[in-house]
Amino acid sequence: MISKKITLLFLAVALLFTSCNSDDDNTPEASGDYVDGLLISHEGNFGQGNASVSFVSYDFATVENNIFEAVNSSPLGDTAQSITFDGDFAYIVMNVSNSIQVVNRYTFESIATIDSGLNNPRYMAISNGKGYVTNWADFSVTDDDFVAVIDLSLNLVTDAISSSYLPEEIIALGDKIYVATGIYGYGNLVDVINSDTDELEESIVVGNSPNSLQLDSNSNLWVLSSENLIEIDTDTNDIAQTISLGDGFSFPSNLIYDNSSFYFYDSGSVYKMDESANVLPTTAEFSNVNFYDMNVSNGILYGVDAGDFTSNGELKVYDLNSNTETQSITLNIIPGGVYFN
Amino acid sequence: MIRIVFFFLLLCYYSVANAQKSTDSIQKLDEVVLSDVKLKHYNEGYKLTVLSDSILRKNGNSLTDVLRFNSNIYFKENGYGMVSSASFRGTNASQTAVIWNGININSQLNGQVDFNTISTANYNSISIRSGGGSVQYGSGAIGGSVHLSNDSDFTKHINHRLQLGYGSYETENASYNLSFGNNKWSGSAGVSYVNTENDYRIIGTDEKNENGAFNNLDLNLNLGYILSQKDVLKVYHQNFRSDRAFSSTLLAPSNSKYETEDYRSMLEWAHVSENFTSSLKAVHLLEQFKYFENKDLNNYSKGQAKTWLIKHSYKRNVSKNMALSVITDYSYITAEGNSYIDPKRNAFSATAILNHQFSTKFKYNLNVRKDVISDFKSPLVFAGDLSYKVAEAYVLKFNASKNFRVPTFNDLYWNPGGNLDLEPEESFQFDLGHQLEILKSLQLKLNTFYIETSDLIQWRPNTETNYWNPVNIANAKHYGLEVELGYTKQINAHHFNLVTAYSYTETEDVEKNQPLYYVPLHKGNTALSYNFKSFTAYYQHLFTGEVDVIGGSLDGYDVGNIGCSYELNTAGKLNYILDLKINNIYNTYYENVALRPMPNRNFNIKLTLKF
Repeated sequence: MISKKITLLFLAVALLFTSCNSDDDNTPEASGDYVDGLLISHEGNFGQGNASVSFVSYDFATVENNIFEAVNSSPLGDTAQSITFDGDFAYIVMNVSNSIQVVNRYTFESIATIDSGLNNPRYMAISNGKGYVTNWADFSVTDDDFVAVIDLSLNLVTDAISSSYLPEEIIALGDKIYVATGIYGYGNLVDVINSDTDELEESIVVGNSPNSLQLDSNSNLWVLSSENLIEIDTDTNDIAQTISLGDGFSFPSNLIYDNSSFYFYDSGSVYKMDESANVLPTTAEFSNVNFYDMNVSNGILYGVDAGDFTSNGELKVYDLNSNTETQSITLNIIPGGVYFN
Repeated sequence: MIRIVFFFLLLCYYSVANAQKSTDSIQKLDEVVLSDVKLKHYNEGYKLTVLSDSILRKNGNSLTDVLRFNSNIYFKENGYGMVSSASFRGTNASQTAVIWNGININSQLNGQVDFNTISTANYNSISIRSGGGSVQYGSGAIGGSVHLSNDSDFTKHINHRLQLGYGSYETENASYNLSFGNNKWSGSAGVSYVNTENDYRIIGTDEKNENGAFNNLDLNLNLGYILSQKDVLKVYHQNFRSDRAFSSTLLAPSNSKYETEDYRSMLEWAHVSENFTSSLKAVHLLEQFKYFENKDLNNYSKGQAKTWLIKHSYKRNVSKNMALSVITDYSYITAEGNSYIDPKRNAFSATAILNHQFSTKFKYNLNVRKDVISDFKSPLVFAGDLSYKVAEAYVLKFNASKNFRVPTFNDLYWNPGGNLDLEPEESFQFDLGHQLEILKSLQLKLNTFYIETSDLIQWRPNTETNYWNPVNIANAKHYGLEVELGYTKQINAHHFNLVTAYSYTETEDVEKNQPLYYVPLHKGNTALSYNFKSFTAYYQHLFTGEVDVIGGSLDGYDVGNIGCSYELNTAGKLNYILDLKINNIYNTYYENVALRPMPNRNFNIKLTLKF
């Protein structure tokens, strides 16, 4: 612990020294214990307060669980739903704690806790220098759902924009914000919010329970739901194409865009689809996995297996050229999000 | 069914024929006085711990509090007064049966009993039977069973007891009990109410227990009527209403609340003759809950289960030393609510018990039971127990049994996720006990037990359906040791009483090769009381060792309570008793469920009027 503090101090001094001497360098090298690796958020058990974040370096030489608690000597909170990044900051959305932990993404030192103005928060996006956080409020109440607007300089919720029922994933494109709403068989809308006016502009009808939003190389928006995969032209917000699921799929989820291909997960299998395709693939890339979440970067897939939800989960790394597992690393309780740092 | 009708007619005949005879002798028979005769007669090889009225009155009116300080059972309480479940010999929340006047009252919806929805104010005694009891008490009696008894007192009397209490966190208690009897009738009625803000300070912080307020109301009415020298009719009724906010955890705020209601009614006709006794019970049980995600809105989800039960017990004395009992019951259970599509269950069970007093030293019982349940196959279960008096002061006890826990309505019918292919959980277990009694003043009980459970039902995520499903997946082993010591001493007018219990419980989740969560390896409790004339003082101590929780552990803790009472006006008809109690005198910070701190040091004052 002491040696780590000394290291941090050294790094801090080094950073200060570097920044003082290179005023013209506006992209300083990220520094901290948690650079060049994955951040993996863990929901932990609902109500049990055992949420956590793990760091796994890209060379897999370093695996550290519970990094928030290790750095800050306080618990992260209850049910880490998602992480969103902006500059050097990471915003960890704590669903059951009704809060957001703001940390330095590379050192994981706590900067602030946003704990008012949120109610059942889920996901966050950044647009126009502001944070936008989806909130369910009461699950059983259909008209209290909202997107909270956060002033990122003050780390305070400043506004709430009413949304469709059960807002989930949220993605920003310029001054437009797209919000997938609906889960568990409820809802089939993508809300569009303008971040200049902070108003809901329209709601686009998509498939039931949209679970993933991805932007492709043309900045078109793809929406995967339990009914279909829809491409939305983001210039007009019209539906460009609807690809139906067919019989082969039950609950496709975790749509990821990487290098002109889409990847998604369904019932123990991972599928790949070219962005120019207009039908879903019929054969899986690989099967017999159990991913609670996954992410893809440069031909490498990182999937997290939450197991029975009471034992430690695992990170499974797949080489997408050979579709073979290259690493299996034990993590913490209920890993639920994979992020690149 | 035909047999039941036949017996019913037979009973009618007897009751009319014998109505004129004296009723004196019947008033003393166990079948007439006791609400749960089996508990006394067929348990020679089991450890039975009876908590008397005086113990029950020391720990407020919550069954959790009473058992926490006076038994080996560990409680997982979601903050003080909130949902509380038992771990008996390391078993899970649905493996302890609670028996109300002989009837199993575990929830049909989740198989558990919330021990904070049972008030001790209106029972004569509470007994703890350690070990497997499915043959006699049905599903869930694996770790053991807790028995709530309203016994009948036909001796001529009218007694009133009124209690008024006030304590920390704006806690108000009030209860009233009436008991009466004459040669024909016996009756008791009770009402008990508690209302509290329950906003205790969380030790080491400036925070308070948020959203923890609750109030509970318990109503109880029991009547007995002696029809003839051989027949007695009894009615039992109990109603519990609870309105509780669900308290926050250290890391998660809460704004929810939970309302529950339980109605339990029973009509019993007992018939006693030279060679046989018979009892026919008709029972109706209703449990319902409303869960409010936001307590400020009238928006809730609900669930309800109703049970209609007919139970007949017939006991025949085969010889002077041998008796055979046959118990049959039929129940019809329905549930409704937001998450079920009107499920129904028909269940029939038949039990045979052979009770043999081989000699004055050696007694044994053999039990067998088969259930036929409409929605799954139930195993044949059996039990055997014996006691052997090795010496005047030393009795050896042994029992072995196969037990079961049926899948609940939630397990089978929860929509979505319920699994109709579930089978009952099973256990096989045995228990060896030693009881020593020296000069009536020192009692020592030592028990060692072994329990193996299989096909344990757990909810797991299902990648095919995206829902969680219950599956028969886990197996566990439990073994351990329990010591119970009682000592009384009298020096002139000074009475001392010590009761202490210790348990050592090893558990193993066979699949994961690790101990089960929320089972303390060590638990101990002690109660010491001192009485001199009208003055009584007592001290209670509870030690709970560290427990494993998912991904971590909770520290062990020591909690002590101290109290004293003074009885005024002992001579007259009207007695006043003034009680003062300090709970958690050492101001210990402790949690028995992760992140749910329990109360700091607190006070309670109580006035009891008896007349």
